[in-house]
Amino acid sequence: MLTAVIALAALALLAAFGLAIAARVFAVPHNPKADEIEEVLPGANCGACALPGCAELARRIAEGKADIDACPVGGESAAHTIAAIMGMEFEGGAEREVALVLCKGSDQVAAKRFFYNGIYDCNSAVLVFGGDKACTYGCLGLGTCAGVCLFGAIDMVPGGLAVVDPEKCTGCAQCVAACPKGIIKMVPASRKLHILCSSHDKGGVARKHCKVACIGCMKCVKAAPEGAITMDNFLAVVDYSFEIPAEVAAECPMNTIIVTGDAAGACEEPAAAAGGDA
Amino acid sequence: MGSGRFFGGVHPSYNKGLADSSAIVEMPLPERLVVFFAQNLGVPSQPVVKKGDEVKKGQVIAEAGGFVSTPVHAPTSGTIGSIDIYPSPVGVDAPAAVLVPDGKDEWFEGCNVERSSEGLGVKKIKEMIHDKGIVGMGGATFPTHVKLSPLAEKKMDLLVINGAECEPYLTADHRLMVEHAEGIRDGASLFATVIGVRNVVVAIEKNKPDAIEVMCKAVVGCQGFSVEAMDVIYPQGAEKQLIYTLTKRKVPAGGLPMDVGVLVQNVGTALAAYEAVRYNRPLIQRVVTVTGSGIREPKNVLARVGTRFEDLVKFCGGLEGDAAKCINGGPMMGVAQYSLDAAVTKGTSGLVILRQEEVTQFVSDACIRCARCLEVCPMKLNPSALSIFIEKMRFEDANEYNVMDCIECGCCAYVCPSRRPMVHHFRRAKAEVRKLQRKTG
Amino acid sequence: MPKLVIIIISAVLVNNFVLMRFLGICPFLGVSKRVSTAAGMSGAVLFVMTMASVVTWLIYHYVLVPFGLTYLQTVSFILVIASLVQLVELVLQKLSPALYKALGIFLPLITTNCAVLGVSVLNIQKEFTLLEATIFGAGAAVGFGVAMVLFSGLRERIDLCDTPIPFRGTAIGLVTAGLLSLAFMGFTGLVKL
Repeated sequence: MLTAVIALAALALLAAFGLAIAARVFAVPHNPKADEIEEVLPGANCGACALPGCAELARRIAEGKADIDACPVGGESAAHTIAAIMGMEFEGGAEREVALVLCKGSDQVAAKRFFYNGIYDCNSAVLVFGGDKACTYGCLGLGTCAGVCLFGAIDMVPGGLAVVDPEKCTGCAQCVAACPKGIIKMVPASRKLHILCSSHDKGGVARKHCKVACIGCMKCVKAAPEGAITMDNFLAVVDYSFEIPAEVAAECPMNTIIVTGDAAGACEEPAAAAGGDA
Repeated sequence: MGSGRFFGGVHPSYNKGLADSSAIVEMPLPERLVVFFAQNLGVPSQPVVKKGDEVKKGQVIAEAGGFVSTPVHAPTSGTIGSIDIYPSPVGVDAPAAVLVPDGKDEWFEGCNVERSSEGLGVKKIKEMIHDKGIVGMGGATFPTHVKLSPLAEKKMDLLVINGAECEPYLTADHRLMVEHAEGIRDGASLFATVIGVRNVVVAIEKNKPDAIEVMCKAVVGCQGFSVEAMDVIYPQGAEKQLIYTLTKRKVPAGGLPMDVGVLVQNVGTALAAYEAVRYNRPLIQRVVTVTGSGIREPKNVLARVGTRFEDLVKFCGGLEGDAAKCINGGPMMGVAQYSLDAAVTKGTSGLVILRQEEVTQFVSDACIRCARCLEVCPMKLNPSALSIFIEKMRFEDANEYNVMDCIECGCCAYVCPSRRPMVHHFRRAKAEVRKLQRKTG
Repeated sequence: MPKLVIIIISAVLVNNFVLMRFLGICPFLGVSKRVSTAAGMSGAVLFVMTMASVVTWLIYHYVLVPFGLTYLQTVSFILVIASLVQLVELVLQKLSPALYKALGIFLPLITTNCAVLGVSVLNIQKEFTLLEATIFGAGAAVGFGVAMVLFSGLRERIDLCDTPIPFRGTAIGLVTAGLLSLAFMGFTGLVKL
């Protein structure tokens, strides 16, 4: 019994001694804070921070080379926890942003100019005359953005239109980069009024192409506070630094403006509108 | 000179008989012309006219936008109606000027004047070719003056005049050789002077015996000129394949013909360059083969740049029966058009109109790894693996498998039993790889 | 000498640890997505297995047997293996952080890789000499590496295929592993040990 204990203890001691030496020889400088921060980060490695992976961001934050709110996905809650780890104060940074598809033209309302029978992918479709929709600005509806979304926040509604669920959206902006038409924009989550069109076509052309296009009538511009909605080459554009009253939406003769209500409003509304027009 | 045979290739049905015996006819001026500002590969040209301007035939309406760029000229005299975005026949929407002809067809001052091409310096010739907007007329529309400026360290020893015209249906180059052999020969000797080579080969596929005969007669007594009859196989007329057939030299991956000392120019380009230098005529018209079973009278039309496809079709007797598909270029490499609103550009070699029964909408399937595409790929790529990589969005792997060397000839898609849209995949991958390369610098 | 050759062939092919004895399945499925990581894992296992064979043989014959403590075999072997794995981890983290990251949790898990313990125990059971034990340990690790690289190569190809959805990932991996194992049965009878 005693020999057994002594023998094992001796073996263990020997091994421990060897490892201790090895740990000295092969020591890697290591920041324990980085590990803690990595625990807090979402771990999706989505690249929204423009760094290769969460571990890298954690290392940068621990070294003070990145801001504590650098992770847009983790948002404020992550920033608070990281601030605690780093022993810093977090004063609340930029507001949470969500992606928004600036198009409402599903197949029911938007005209097509030809029959596309190619690869089922927006980036491929855009190589053929810029896509099959008559409106060259609109959503192609082949779901490339939904494919790159790691959080399942983008739905393809029937009729080919991408719709972002602002509740699920983490603001990583992967879809913004994936969209060949560049019609997905990041908007502050608290803003409810959106103009869902990207067409710079003149009113008559836009109307011919799509039943819910912005025709540049400027009614919303007049109804909204000064400067809150501006015209950019026949397209009304919302300046999200303004609070715009919901009544402005009713001014739109084309039903292009939506007001997202509570919770899942943004997800439901365009789909319902598209269906209603069909 | 060894006569090799390049790897791969296919034998589609050529259907050249529809138009190969009809002489080139000049088309009367249409009611309006749509002239695209980007008429060449490389940097788009910069418009210098505005709405309402009066222009003369041959007047510059868009300046070269850089070295790899050429000016664009007014195809006739008239008024610029408007400048707007139009669907260009190569599959993008591009800015174009609508030119309303005044019917007088008056030349711009100094144009269309005969002058001697004797004793002109190399630099002067190149300048004229650039100023007159000459681009590769085989379809790629690469600026000719750039091709004529090989790097000094490359030893050039051969000029190939490409009259292969391997694309099915098209007969524009064929008729050009039959009717304008002397002009092509003189254009070729201009090119030879510029790049300083003695040997010139006019390469023609064997299915054009009349063209071979006429060209042979035309080059009699010309030092260094020869006419080579080549086997009929698609894509014989592709630059790298043509060079291999004639010289057994292989252009390195990612390289250019000048890397093996060869310059290839299309017959149409040679003629256009000759006319530019000899008569000071800019490139404002070209031969377009309007053919296919869906057109009433297939013809080789000498059409102004900017002629709308609709006017071309009307000139050729209109559509026949249940015409269903219109292709700019040949059926192998051409681009299907969704409307006849597009217009002739410097690279439009043909307009093929097919009937409903000839057009099938395929549903593509999974790759069954039969490797037929490997057997026909003239670039010895692995289209099967490439298309699978691209489907899985693995563009870096596709780049490693040399997708950038794809010449988009369409042989793989032609033989694919699963009807996979191979060329579409490769175009996508090329765009993505270029994006990646730009990102990494 | 002929016996050593037989031991190697036996360990690598005929009695391949992964495919015939079904030991070390955990890293075999876990880190076989890419050939490069699979090869790295095989390297680490090669080191651990060879060293473990030597050290455990020595401990068994010079510590456990003289003191009549052979019943401590499993405990002491695990102690040795765990220490060796720790050593490899330290070294890898210093020399190849990329591989360290790619192997992730599977690196410390070599400790519980039954193939390593299996080699040590088999060395004793088969009454190998020290040289034979070393060769057997190294051969078994090479066999592990062969299986890993073959399998990861197959999985890279499978990634490009349209696998039916229920089969994607580990499911088709296990099917493939089974087929690979069947293929290795072809080596049976090549040598007898």
